[in-house]
Amino acid sequence: MASTVIAQGITIEGEVTTDDQVVVQGTLRGKLAAKDVVTIENGAVVEADVSGASVSVGGHVTGNVSANERVDLVAGGRLVGDVRAAKLTIADGASFKGNVDMDV
Amino acid sequence: MKTTDLTVLGHGSFVRGNVRGDGDVEIEGRVEGEIEVAGAVTVGADGIVKASIRASRIVVRGAVLGDLVATESLRLEKGARVVGDLRAPSIGIAEGGLVRGNVETGEASSAPAARAAQKPAQRPAVQARPAPAQAPARIAAPVAKAAPTPAPKPAVERAVAPPPVVPVLRKGAKGAVKKKAR
Repeated sequence: MASTVIAQGITIEGEVTTDDQVVVQGTLRGKLAAKDVVTIENGAVVEADVSGASVSVGGHVTGNVSANERVDLVAGGRLVGDVRAAKLTIADGASFKGNVDMDV
Repeated sequence: MKTTDLTVLGHGSFVRGNVRGDGDVEIEGRVEGEIEVAGAVTVGADGIVKASIRASRIVVRGAVLGDLVATESLRLEKGARVVGDLRAPSIGIAEGGLVRGNVETGEASSAPAARAAQKPAQRPAVQARPAPAQAPARIAAPVAKAAPTPAPKPAVERAVAPPPVVPVLRKGAKGAVKKKAR
């Protein structure tokens, strides 16, 4: 089970394309295209379009998020951008500003 | 919540861009761009890095195309394939590690490496010298032809690489001799 972790002190500026599961705790500017589960943890700052099989947003995300399965905005997450996914949950305590398209 | 300080770029990942920051980075996938990190960078056996890497400690077990600059230590393990310059106070290349590039340790401990690193630095310095230093060049001309070692010493302060210095002085000396003839 391969996994890509972007730890808290790290900033990646550019494109990240991966087949692995991704956990973002640091800063990512650019683009994130994953084929598996993407978890953006609390404290992460992502200024990128994110796509994955499923995306969990617990940090600050500015960009469009699209997932094949589901997108979860967990408590503490802030998403400014559009969401495209078949399923979406926005937890109590999460912030969201954008459009939602569930007709995938 | 800081669970880990280790960034892992897994086997199936491809990062095109810059990776900067604090903490350690393990690269098992592909990276193109620049890596500048305060901690340790490890390029795993499957890692393919087309980037320059600056870190405090670098360990390479995979393929790197780019310069490696470490502030503490740099180590190429077996299986490492590096095309690029290595620069660190302490460099280790294990048996089986492949490297193509300049290797420069902090103190220029090995003479050939020091010569190789200082050759390009010395040539422009010495070429600039014959113009103001015509008199010592003229005096040194017969000495330069006869015995190369005393001549470079007044012109060049380091006792490094008389062979690369002498051709330049010879040229200057010939010019001085020609001017003498005129």
